[in-house]
Amino acid sequence: MTLSMKNVSKVYKEGESQIIALDQVSMEVASGEFVAIIGPSGSGKSTFLSIAGALLKPSQGEVKIDNKNIATLKDKELSHLRLHEIGFILQTSNLMPYLNVLDNLLLLKKMSGKVTKQDGAFAKELLIELGLTDKFEKFPNELSGGERQRVAIARSFMNDSSLILADEPTASLDTNRANEVVSLISKEVKARGRAAIMVTHDERMLAYCDRVYRMEDGKLTLQ
Amino acid sequence: MFLALKELKHGKLRFTMIGLIIVLIAWLVFILSGLGNGLSTLSAATIKNWEAEHVVYENGAGAKFSKSLLSQSLQSKIEAQPGVEEVAPFSQAVIAILPIDGVAEGEDKVDAALLGIEASSFLHPEVIEGKAIEPTIKNGVVANITLKDQKGYAIGDVIAIDGSELNAKIIGFVENETFNHLPSLFANMDFVREYKYSAPGSNNGVEDAINAFAILGKVVDAIQMEKEVDGVEVVTKSSAINGMPGYTAENGTIMMMLVFLIVISAFVIAVFFYVLTIQKTQQFGVMKAIGASNGFIARAIVSQVFVLSFFSILIGIGLTYLTAMVFPEEMPFNLDPVLVIIYGIVLLVISVGSSLFSVRRISKIDPLTALGRVE
Ligand SMILES: Nc1ncnc2c1ncn2[C@@H]1O[C@H](COP(=O)(O)OP(=O)(O)OP(=O)(O)O)[C@@H](O)[C@H]1O
Ligand SMILES: [Mg+2]
Repeated sequence: MTLSMKNVSKVYKEGESQIIALDQVSMEVASGEFVAIIGPSGSGKSTFLSIAGALLKPSQGEVKIDNKNIATLKDKELSHLRLHEIGFILQTSNLMPYLNVLDNLLLLKKMSGKVTKQDGAFAKELLIELGLTDKFEKFPNELSGGERQRVAIARSFMNDSSLILADEPTASLDTNRANEVVSLISKEVKARGRAAIMVTHDERMLAYCDRVYRMEDGKLTLQ
Repeated sequence: MFLALKELKHGKLRFTMIGLIIVLIAWLVFILSGLGNGLSTLSAATIKNWEAEHVVYENGAGAKFSKSLLSQSLQSKIEAQPGVEEVAPFSQAVIAILPIDGVAEGEDKVDAALLGIEASSFLHPEVIEGKAIEPTIKNGVVANITLKDQKGYAIGDVIAIDGSELNAKIIGFVENETFNHLPSLFANMDFVREYKYSAPGSNNGVEDAINAFAILGKVVDAIQMEKEVDGVEVVTKSSAINGMPGYTAENGTIMMMLVFLIVISAFVIAVFFYVLTIQKTQQFGVMKAIGASNGFIARAIVSQVFVLSFFSILIGIGLTYLTAMVFPEEMPFNLDPVLVIIYGIVLLVISVGSSLFSVRRISKIDPLTALGRVE
């Protein structure tokens, strides 16, 4: 099982009051599965992804990524895990402003050591697939919001990560592009045997997914 | 290095400004150290040039030549002390010199330090022009080259010593020899004695009066010697240098300025890098979210600061040497390459060290910042 979450809760304490962002949530995603989460704003979707991506520690419950219990990992092992096992597509595309598109992808390889010729070729291949053929040398501020989002998607594919977490990846894309991008994620998942969880507001994207969950007030239910 | 250089290239303006600050600080540090070095050279170059390890003064002189009066007859006793290889008598006087035919219109008498030594003494510096003093030319003197370069004296010139009937004749020149901020004028001991003690009783009844002895010998026991030889105090050469009038005060002032400058620049530089780092909190959060370790980010920051500071300091050094070229010749500016390297390294260590503060901050950044929630 690529991701396994059992009875995970997350409570934010704010002074006297508490916000229960996640309430006894369980989910399992195997490799080759593409799962969607929908739900109203503030229901806990981003919180869920942060925990699934080892960015946030749950208040309760158990999270296993590739059968490793993340509660037992040290900071260094966590960043190693994030680098090698998880591909993040964040709600706002988060690229390094001073790196061009290609370097933004290669940054991941830099983090894990050397950049090889194959890495360069692979990065270009990904960018071409995502319709960014003539943008290799562009800096993020020279791209449109949708283009930036696609670079972020390409970046999440860059490392051979087994789990892809996408927080509204299609928010700033038009319908055509959104379809392309999601079908691309789906293709990646099937072809390379990855697991993916996508948070989305766009009901039309659900067709690509194997399962759809609904998040409401921190509670997760299978549709 | 990858991130560091890419970012430097992308943010040229911003990093040029920060680099400029470091350049200016480095420039200031080097100018100040050059001036300090120049000043201390001026006040004691002759003593610094001595090969001697110890200097013998009259007891109670407090390592001041002007307060010390000894008889040259002590020389044999000092030579007999264990560890002493060579002993040279030394005598000094502050004089004003003028051309024998009077001071020309618009010119001044020139202050100089008249230094009495023995002709073959190890205290005699190497002449760069003319010849060394010798007993047969009793009034022959060897002058610091600045008397030629700045005051126009030449070999063979006969000069009058102000307030005395004595005439001296310049027979040679030496370089970098100053004493008490004045150009040194080396002369035969007898000549100096004649000048200093011409009035009866001015030698306090001391026969063959001199001011001090310089001692060559690495294993001299100063305390033992003070016991063995009556009425003397024996100090190391560096104490003798510190005893030069104004030397400690001048050096102390310059050192204080340098220390403050360096401490304050450490703060300025640290604050700059810290602010720079804080501005990038979100970016570092993203990097952490996609898997960057603290070490990776720390290396990027430190190498960036290193590259930036290294080149800024180099430019600062270059500027300093350029400035030195336009300084007037009389300005006591003396850049010691060793000092330049030391201060350069100190500045580099300071800026890299101060960036470590920022690194500490990085390690605390929560990758969640990437989600734009935590600010
Ligand atoms: N760091 C935090 N401190 C306190 N409360 C938080 C924090 N992060 C999130 N919350 C709260 O937890 C709840 C869930 O937030 P979350 O961001 O997961 O919602 P979401 O489903 O992603 O919403 P959206 O669709 O708008 O992105 C919200 O009520 C939010 O206010
Ligand atoms: Mg959200």
